[in-house]
Amino acid sequence: MRFQILLLSLLVSFSLFAQEYTISGRVKDADNGETLLGATVLVKGGGGAITNEYGFYSISLESGTYEVTYKYLGYEDVVKNVQLDRSQTINIELGIKANVIGPAIVSAKALERRVENKKISVVKMETAKIKEIPVIFGEVDILKTITLLPGIQSAGEGNSGFNVRGGSQDQNLILLDEATVYNASHLLGFFSVFNGDAVKDLEVYKGGIPAKYGGRLSSIVDIKMRDGNSKRFSGIGGIGTISSRLTLEGPIVKDKSSFMIAGRRSYADLFLPLASDESIQESKLYFYDLNLKANYDIGEKDRIYLSGYFGRDVLGLSELFSLNWGNSTATIRWNHLVNDKVFVNTSLVFSDFKYGFDIKFAENANFGLDQSIQDSYLKSDWTNFISQKSKLNFGGQVTYHRFNPGLFAANNEESKKLFSDIQIEKRKALETGLYIDHEYKHSNRLNMRYGLRISSFSNIGGTEYTYTKDVETNEPIDSLTVTQVFGSGEIYNTYMGLEPRASISYNLTTTMALKGSYNRTFQYVQQATNTASSFPTDQWFSVNKNVKPQRADQVAVGLFKNLDIGLETSVEVYYKWMNNQIDYRDNAEIAFNEELDGELLTGEGWAYGAEFYVAKTEGKSSGFVSYTWAKTMRQIDGISGDNPYVANFDRRHNLAIVFTQKFSKRLLVTGSFVFSSGQPLTTPSSKYYYDGEWNTNYTEIRNNYRVPAYHRADIGVTLKSKEKPDKRFKSNWNFSIYNLYNRANPYTIRFGEINEDDLEKNEGAIVGNTAAFQTTLFKMIPAITWNFEF
Amino acid sequence: MIKMKNTYLIVLFSLLFVACEKIVDIEIPSDEPTLVVEGEITDNLGPWSVRLTLSQPYLNQKQVDGITNATIFITGTDGSNVQLLHTDTGMFVSATDQQCLVGETYTLTVDYDGKTFTASEELVNGFPIDTIASYFLPDNNGFIEAGYYVFIQGKENDYKGDSYLWKFYRNDTLQDDFGPIYENDDFGDISFLNQSLDPNDPLAGLAQGIIPRPFPFTVEPGDSIRIEQYSLSKQHYKFIIDREAQLNRAGTPFDSPPANPNYNISNGGLGYFSVAHLVKESLVVKE
Repeated sequence: MRFQILLLSLLVSFSLFAQEYTISGRVKDADNGETLLGATVLVKGGGGAITNEYGFYSISLESGTYEVTYKYLGYEDVVKNVQLDRSQTINIELGIKANVIGPAIVSAKALERRVENKKISVVKMETAKIKEIPVIFGEVDILKTITLLPGIQSAGEGNSGFNVRGGSQDQNLILLDEATVYNASHLLGFFSVFNGDAVKDLEVYKGGIPAKYGGRLSSIVDIKMRDGNSKRFSGIGGIGTISSRLTLEGPIVKDKSSFMIAGRRSYADLFLPLASDESIQESKLYFYDLNLKANYDIGEKDRIYLSGYFGRDVLGLSELFSLNWGNSTATIRWNHLVNDKVFVNTSLVFSDFKYGFDIKFAENANFGLDQSIQDSYLKSDWTNFISQKSKLNFGGQVTYHRFNPGLFAANNEESKKLFSDIQIEKRKALETGLYIDHEYKHSNRLNMRYGLRISSFSNIGGTEYTYTKDVETNEPIDSLTVTQVFGSGEIYNTYMGLEPRASISYNLTTTMALKGSYNRTFQYVQQATNTASSFPTDQWFSVNKNVKPQRADQVAVGLFKNLDIGLETSVEVYYKWMNNQIDYRDNAEIAFNEELDGELLTGEGWAYGAEFYVAKTEGKSSGFVSYTWAKTMRQIDGISGDNPYVANFDRRHNLAIVFTQKFSKRLLVTGSFVFSSGQPLTTPSSKYYYDGEWNTNYTEIRNNYRVPAYHRADIGVTLKSKEKPDKRFKSNWNFSIYNLYNRANPYTIRFGEINEDDLEKNEGAIVGNTAAFQTTLFKMIPAITWNFEF
Repeated sequence: MIKMKNTYLIVLFSLLFVACEKIVDIEIPSDEPTLVVEGEITDNLGPWSVRLTLSQPYLNQKQVDGITNATIFITGTDGSNVQLLHTDTGMFVSATDQQCLVGETYTLTVDYDGKTFTASEELVNGFPIDTIASYFLPDNNGFIEAGYYVFIQGKENDYKGDSYLWKFYRNDTLQDDFGPIYENDDFGDISFLNQSLDPNDPLAGLAQGIIPRPFPFTVEPGDSIRIEQYSLSKQHYKFIIDREAQLNRAGTPFDSPPANPNYNISNGGLGYFSVAHLVKESLVVKE
């Protein structure tokens, strides 16, 4: 019955009570016209609302006189007295708080509100917070910062991603203005693809994932770009030793439309020829990226946004071999107010991730392997602000996926004459999601949100293989492989998933809350990684008849308590069950294999852990400490003797300490320390002499060993120019040191025979003996950047 | 603002992308020593020999531990029953010359330290090398270095699933700079095999595969070349590939996951006992 009422309210959105009126509108930044999302609208005497991702809010109240306060972290409050005798639109602009130096004054009210607004397993960072996070290499890196938070583990140096609560890296859905970003790293994780100057807001869901998101198992990282200054032309940028960046923005029509363009380029490669090591001289190592955004107010009720991202990375180990990868995304969005209670956003999105490598066999013999995944999708998200207590979200998405698993082709004329291209069959698929989600505030103590997502995935056309596998080795027996060909438009295989989602919050006291969440998620597109370290070039592929969708169920419970000394604390525990987890069989044939799905094995995964967090967000000294204890297991028949084994990315202990100290209006010091348990590794258990060489015999147990722990400290000092009230131009110098105490953290450890070349770096080594070799990527790296804004 | 312009110029760089590999001293778990078998018998008449050693802890030792006290027999479905006797450290050799027959299965039995280890393989058929020749190839676009190359030609079996290994000896020295030379016919005929060679233009009619295969070595006139062509069981072929992949692990993301090749020795033994069809041809390179 209740459900039917909800359905009804979807279709008909009128005021249920005749005497109710609605206040609605947008909340913006007074300085640059950016819409503020997540701003609080408080009605004195009870009730309120939070602005949505487009800065829109809607509150329904009985007629009367109200005092309405608009609040946003880091901004001055605005109070409005409203005589409510008809529905009205109130657009508000909030001004940034003056740079206050002094003891933190955090009102008890603010602390209460924060406990209440904090969602379980969700990390949120607003503009003001983003500006405060540690600055390394002259710029803030939001993605790197979130990996310092509990439950989110950096996959480590040289790895491009992060792991959320026992999920692999491909189980994170990273959205930039609603477009899927398949790889969020530059320079092997040294930078993230998100230019801190271009980002407005970020939300990470580790659990309690709302029904509007789908397609990945473990987390959602939802990043929104800034709209661009609609008040005046302005710019922000930096010139540094590793990279430089520039953002320009301004109104197209003042207060109506604006644009933003932000670019970055690293140039470490320009200095590589100066290195003494020959192999480093020949290396290529750079990235560049571009963010574009424009928006236009068509009228009171409609607004159009255009946004785009383009980035590219090249990493060449010598002139003979190089990797390249890059994302391109484009989003067109249309915000529409159906009426003062119903807000709709409809988006058309295109996302393209290209990855591959180039090989030079000889002069005039260049070959490239190109792979890609392209998504085009249409989505529509509706919100009905039914009443102060009740908000209904619903919508859907249709995605057309195209996969190019590999085109091996000559890159130069001479080679093209001699070698014809080899194309592994391209794949197509359709993914859909429909959802309904209800946010319900029962009382001041009890809030809940529950919803359902129905997802489906269909393979369209192409060749399917059915494998018969060798019982011992799990290797497909070629002669028994059955091939089936489907017409190019034929939907021949469909999976469906029902994904219930729920979260509940109960305020025990005004500063303490108990929260819980459950979610089920399905994943239909995934990445296969062959080693402990993942690379941007690892192949993405979809489910098909052989590979079933991954499914996860997660429960989490958390206790949130704010202390009146200005500390926010929380403890969360989670347990996650995952099935249809994939791994390659032993001795899998991975490179350029048309029948890659035959090399996969599937099994179960489970993960659990506890996350502790203490933060001080305001005042001269701020920062946080986060600690996570986590365990991530896999059990896949055919691997590790069918026994459970720790996942490649299992890190038992994770600690991060981050601080920011404002010494004066001009001097700011940020620092961080991270520690995490070493990465699991499969070690040799013995060696044997065969065919004139030492060979390695591995233990049957996968990941039986841990490499030494990872730890590192970074420090950054920012010195701002003197502020002159009559000048808009501001600048600062940022000096930073990455890996302050020059720790040689392991990137990989391999085992092998010592040869003559190794003697140079390893005194006393004996040629012909076997040893463990550790590769360290980044030791101490100092950097200087000059930043400016106008 | 002039001051600001100057600061553009004094942007310093200090970049230390120091990626280096060093030997580290770590302790890793170690298994008890296990029997390792390395043996290959063929259809060519000659003594049969097998080498037995022990595996050892991975780190910090380079001596090969040969076994002396084992009892070894090779029995065949052709009725043969041959004992191999200890000669040198780890080496066990038959007293008389022996020969395998196509289609027959041969079983190795090793009794060592109270345990019995066995391994069996069937001898698959091979094919003769019809022609062996050398040609001078000019530099081709950097794909191939100018020089003399050796080619073989023969009629390979029509059906798929055959696996081959070649050993290339130049003046009695095995050329193994590129690792073992192996190939199967899953993707079609192998290189020049099944092609008739035109002595005047060895490259005629070959759109692809101009790289001299299977032998990518340049040789000199006067060199004496010997080629051994082994037809292997599929399982042995796979063992060679997987072992090779593990040997070439370099700590990069392109490595295959650490895993053992499939040994064919029972009872936890390591190594491989193979039965192969062997064809030998030789040639002296002419100007």
